[in-house]
Amino acid sequence: MSGSPSMPDSHTSLSPLKLIGLVVLFIALALLPFVWGNRFYISLITEIMIYGLLAMSLDVLLGYTGLLSFMHNAYLGIGAYVVGLFLIHVSPTSLWLACLVGVVFTGLVALPVGWIQVRTGGLAFALLTLAFGMMFYTIVWKWYGLTGGDDGLMGVPSPDIQLFGWSVGNTGNPAHMYLLTLFVVAIALILTRRIISSPFGAVLEAIRENEERAAFVGINVRRYKLFGWMLACVLAGTAGALYILCKGYIGPVTMSAFAGAGVLMMVLLGGLGTLWGPIVGAGIFIYIQDYISTMTEHWEIFLGIVVIFLVLFMPTGFVGLGNFFKRLRKD
Amino acid sequence: MSGIATAVDITLNSLVLGGVFLIVAVGLNIIYGLSRVMNLAHGSLYAIGAYTGYTIVSLGVNFFVALLLAPIIVGIIGLIIERIVIAPMRKRSMIYTLILTYGLMFFLDGLIKYVWGNEPRFVAIPAFMRETISIFGTHYPVFRLTTLVTTAAVMIGLMLFLNKTRIGMILKAASTIPEMVSCLGFNMNYIHIGAFILGCALAGVAGIVAGPLTTIDPLMGHEMLISSFVVIVIGGLGSLRGAVFAALLIGLVQTLAEFFITDLAMVIVYMMMAVILAFMPRGLFGEGKFE
Repeated sequence: MSGSPSMPDSHTSLSPLKLIGLVVLFIALALLPFVWGNRFYISLITEIMIYGLLAMSLDVLLGYTGLLSFMHNAYLGIGAYVVGLFLIHVSPTSLWLACLVGVVFTGLVALPVGWIQVRTGGLAFALLTLAFGMMFYTIVWKWYGLTGGDDGLMGVPSPDIQLFGWSVGNTGNPAHMYLLTLFVVAIALILTRRIISSPFGAVLEAIRENEERAAFVGINVRRYKLFGWMLACVLAGTAGALYILCKGYIGPVTMSAFAGAGVLMMVLLGGLGTLWGPIVGAGIFIYIQDYISTMTEHWEIFLGIVVIFLVLFMPTGFVGLGNFFKRLRKD
Repeated sequence: MSGIATAVDITLNSLVLGGVFLIVAVGLNIIYGLSRVMNLAHGSLYAIGAYTGYTIVSLGVNFFVALLLAPIIVGIIGLIIERIVIAPMRKRSMIYTLILTYGLMFFLDGLIKYVWGNEPRFVAIPAFMRETISIFGTHYPVFRLTTLVTTAAVMIGLMLFLNKTRIGMILKAASTIPEMVSCLGFNMNYIHIGAFILGCALAGVAGIVAGPLTTIDPLMGHEMLISSFVVIVIGGLGSLRGAVFAALLIGLVQTLAEFFITDLAMVIVYMMMAVILAFMPRGLFGEGKFE
């Protein structure tokens, strides 16, 4: 099953050379906090990886299944709020249990929402993600007693990172948090790549390419769309757990439609249907955001122009641009 | 207030709200039906309608003149948008068009904040509209009744235009079988442009009509966009009578919810939408055309 030229397939098996390159890259990234002590940049890279995970999970939905979610950040928010509330109210030390609860809860919220969304079809699916996303945003914003409303959830404790009974670090330490994020994101990337290159992933792509034909071959389209949605939301919930551990704070702004557009832009910048592209996109986006927001308060206008420009002239992102040059060289 | 007065109050309020929802939703439906473009910037155009109305009125122009001028201005903005960004997207996949109009939404919102600032504004309405009249014991503001009459007039005018005039018939035909209309020698390009301008002008009408009802702020477009989505999804995309029923239903539910619980009223509306879609995925009349 070949993807359309606009959405390049990434799951041809890796050559040994590329594999070695990736391992070296991973080790280099893991050693980074030991050789470079700048806490601000370590935290910024951690944030980039977390948003990269979120953008990657949106790519599973948009690039592979062909379903658009405008407010995927809502599920990051749900995961983050639940983990934060668990650490505050239930147990301030059990890191893994809190993360598990957060991810499972995100899945439990996403399940009925997804069930309704997949019943309505492609365009209405996208509109409904916006409506439900706004609903979660409204709840978080108005439920002052639980979420802290506009002020956000503050005073989230930073638990120790326990591994097989040993404490290997603390999430309050930027370097430790960086390493934890690196490992989780790497594992999530490998797992997602495995899932996407399995027959299951092929079914998702078949749905993206032609929903009617996929249904005629006997694929239960709705069920597979729901699986794709659940995979994306659970990954977003994982990103949420990392987010609250990294920042120790979350406010409703993180769940707004504006932030949702940012995630969409990361995917578009990096390139649809590539998994690792959106992570690169997240890096570019967060860096640009950091830069522009210090320059002007009318950052919305620029975001709008960049999105319009991307869609009009660069629909496959930077990865697509790279592939384009590769093809140019071959010709 | 007596029970009857409260009931009358709630009924009229929900009709007013439903009427505004309906005009915005019908504008979205027309653009979608003819061009297969789901315009996410529609809420922002609605806000621009309200803001231009505010500016025109504060320049000393009569409110009813503004009622005519604002839709024309928003229509012209629609024409510019269509020519520059929507037209090049004709042959592209719908997902890209959606993302494009999403970007457009942020651009227009940013522009609104740049031009009019973040503070809420209030439209100065004519003196006679500020009074109330007594209907079954409730003192109902005249401007709300004006809103109700205006929305009804716009809807009736639109129905007559679509069903009785030649251009309206061509538009209706083009939404059903565009290829055939194209073969009959009508320029589909003009039809797309016309549909977009008409839809934007409707958003402008809704904006200036709704302006006096609430404060005008940069976020008003977002709320209206989401509400009109709920309306067209519940009514079934492209279904006119579905939109009418859904708009009145949402107007009623939202008014009731705001009357009894203030803060989480919208959550009730979303819940109702979820329940309806769980059992009727193609909308109230099963007429939804989802692609």
